[in-house]
Amino acid sequence: MKLREYEAKNVIKAAGIPVPAGFLIRSPDELTPHLDALGTAFVLKAQVDVGGRGKAGGILMADKATGTKVAKDLFAKQIKGLPVKEVLAEQKLDIKHEYYLSITVDRSSRQPLILFTEAGGVEIEVTAKEHPELIRKVVANPLMKDLPPFLIRELLGNAPREIGPVINKLYKVFIEKDALLAEINPLVATPNGIFAADAKIIVDDNALGRQGITVNRDLSEREREAEKHGFSYVELDGKIGVIGNGAGLTMATLDLIEYYGGKAANFLDVGGGAESERVKNAVRLVASVPSVKVIVVNLLGGITKCDEVAKGIIAAEIPQKVIVRLAGTNEAEGRRLLSEKGYEMLDTMDLVVKKAVEVTSEQPHQKKPGPWKKPNGGQHSVAVITKPESQPTSEMYQLGKGGM
Amino acid sequence: MIYGDKKTGVLVQGATGKQGEFHIGLMNAYAQQVGGRGVVAGVTPGKGGQQVHGVPVYNTVKDAMKEHDIGAAVIFVPAGAAADAIMEEANAGIDTIVCITEHIPVQDTMKAVAYARMEGASVIGPNCPGLLSPGEVKMGIMPSALFTRGHVGVISRSGTLTYEVVDELTRAGIGQSTVVGIGGDPVIGQTFVDVMQRFEKDPETKAVVLIGEVGGNLEEEGATCTDLPIVSYIAGVSAPPDKRMGHAGAIVEGGEGDAKSKIARLKKHGVPVASRVSEIPEMVRELFRCGC
Repeated sequence: MKLREYEAKNVIKAAGIPVPAGFLIRSPDELTPHLDALGTAFVLKAQVDVGGRGKAGGILMADKATGTKVAKDLFAKQIKGLPVKEVLAEQKLDIKHEYYLSITVDRSSRQPLILFTEAGGVEIEVTAKEHPELIRKVVANPLMKDLPPFLIRELLGNAPREIGPVINKLYKVFIEKDALLAEINPLVATPNGIFAADAKIIVDDNALGRQGITVNRDLSEREREAEKHGFSYVELDGKIGVIGNGAGLTMATLDLIEYYGGKAANFLDVGGGAESERVKNAVRLVASVPSVKVIVVNLLGGITKCDEVAKGIIAAEIPQKVIVRLAGTNEAEGRRLLSEKGYEMLDTMDLVVKKAVEVTSEQPHQKKPGPWKKPNGGQHSVAVITKPESQPTSEMYQLGKGGM
Repeated sequence: MIYGDKKTGVLVQGATGKQGEFHIGLMNAYAQQVGGRGVVAGVTPGKGGQQVHGVPVYNTVKDAMKEHDIGAAVIFVPAGAAADAIMEEANAGIDTIVCITEHIPVQDTMKAVAYARMEGASVIGPNCPGLLSPGEVKMGIMPSALFTRGHVGVISRSGTLTYEVVDELTRAGIGQSTVVGIGGDPVIGQTFVDVMQRFEKDPETKAVVLIGEVGGNLEEEGATCTDLPIVSYIAGVSAPPDKRMGHAGAIVEGGEGDAKSKIARLKKHGVPVASRVSEIPEMVRELFRCGC
């Protein structure tokens, strides 16, 4: 989860990294008592959970005379569609030079990766592309609590030595706060010393609990609801609802929808142990999205019990069409239960996805579905149980032996 | 074989938990079927002296090592204790450590993997289904009924997607040498590169299917570090940026690691990329046909 700027600044300030004097305000009036402390010129920064807020008008300059009016303007704004509820009022810094400092997780070396460049002030992605030699990189041994001084010297080059402690302090923040990213951009030199003019921290979602974070703000309401059930859920903007087990298989199902020219409405990974109650909840959750016209269920696994899954789908009692691909134990029983109730169960993921795309592309020519209504048992779907194309037989398994 | 064979004695950490108990049963059923040793010992602190499916349980890994010849371990403990379990096994001298547990904080994984490397152990996972060498050994949770022995190695970041691919291969009559699920987290022990290097030295493996996902660029590193013929598939072509698609590692960050550029880079290196899972068997056949 991404921390807001003021939260990230509080974290690094507590770790001993200097930040500009600043105050969080939740209405324009709250600015008044801080006007003296903020000095003649200051900055008002909208604390919204989107990137690129500067360009979107979320950062405004102000002074003692204009402060309250500028604050009113900012609170009245929408930044990339989000209302401004919190503003950070911060002293303006006398910037002499800008640096860039960040710590991330390097997948390749499986260690923290520290990046530093004296060529700050421009977008780091641009520097990385045009002048990669200006960015210095080191990886650190995650078993060490402090960065060894030689690594800091390698990073600094000819940059002021007083930046060294900032690097080590940010490294400690990265480790202790379970960060996936800790970034200061820009880190600035002023006549009064080094300051973090901005700060960004992303906390590992798997560590929110031990970091005392109870609500993951990065998730939408429905995504949070899904999380409670133990599902991984992402909202997308198509018409085909998707339920799969396992992140990779679910993603592959989404890709297949795109391949056949359709668009998925969501990503939902039910996770392990797809018993009927879980499946029911998953189907209902996806069906509750108004844009969903058809739901593809693609579940595979040695230990997934197909009859349990079938019971869950049937118990969900949703108005939309459900097209199912199930492979696992008790497959025949699952098939029987579903076909009894008129659900379509096909044999491969290609077949279910193709069918779902057909259904959604036919949609404009058909009568629009009515408002949410509980179906009266099994009239909502036509049974088309195709003959298995390539049911695995022991003979086929034999073929592999001694073959390739 | 890579990582182990019929003769490998396996230890299960978290043996008395629901998952541990269930999968000891399945792993040993497979061992019996293929005539292997399977799970020979379990570990759960405080439950030493108990038995799970006839397998003796010990309080510590070192206690178990005193009584049994153990070459590999499979971890089923909760996320908060898993990094410690990895380090305990590495410290006790186990070579191959398979960590099934998901939701381990990345900082913990980084420390455990760094520690295991110091001790000379290889960590597979975390957040993975483990590995299976058909006819030899199963370490983890893969459904063995889908597998058949042969000469194609499979490396994958996914669980069920791997089963899907293996199922397609088996139905097409293409057997597998070893199938390794390396895990869906941003930081994992054995990467595509490590497993690929093992496949290179493995006489059983003649070609490799590499199944990747959005996030990072380790697929490219793995595909380009070998002379073995490869077919690849990358999941997440339709994944939007900055959204975590289930796996913590499956996230496109700041334009890094998106599927389309990953596929383009693989193709640039001459690695065939399937656009659907169902295309993989035919593409593997093509590899053998052209003899490249």
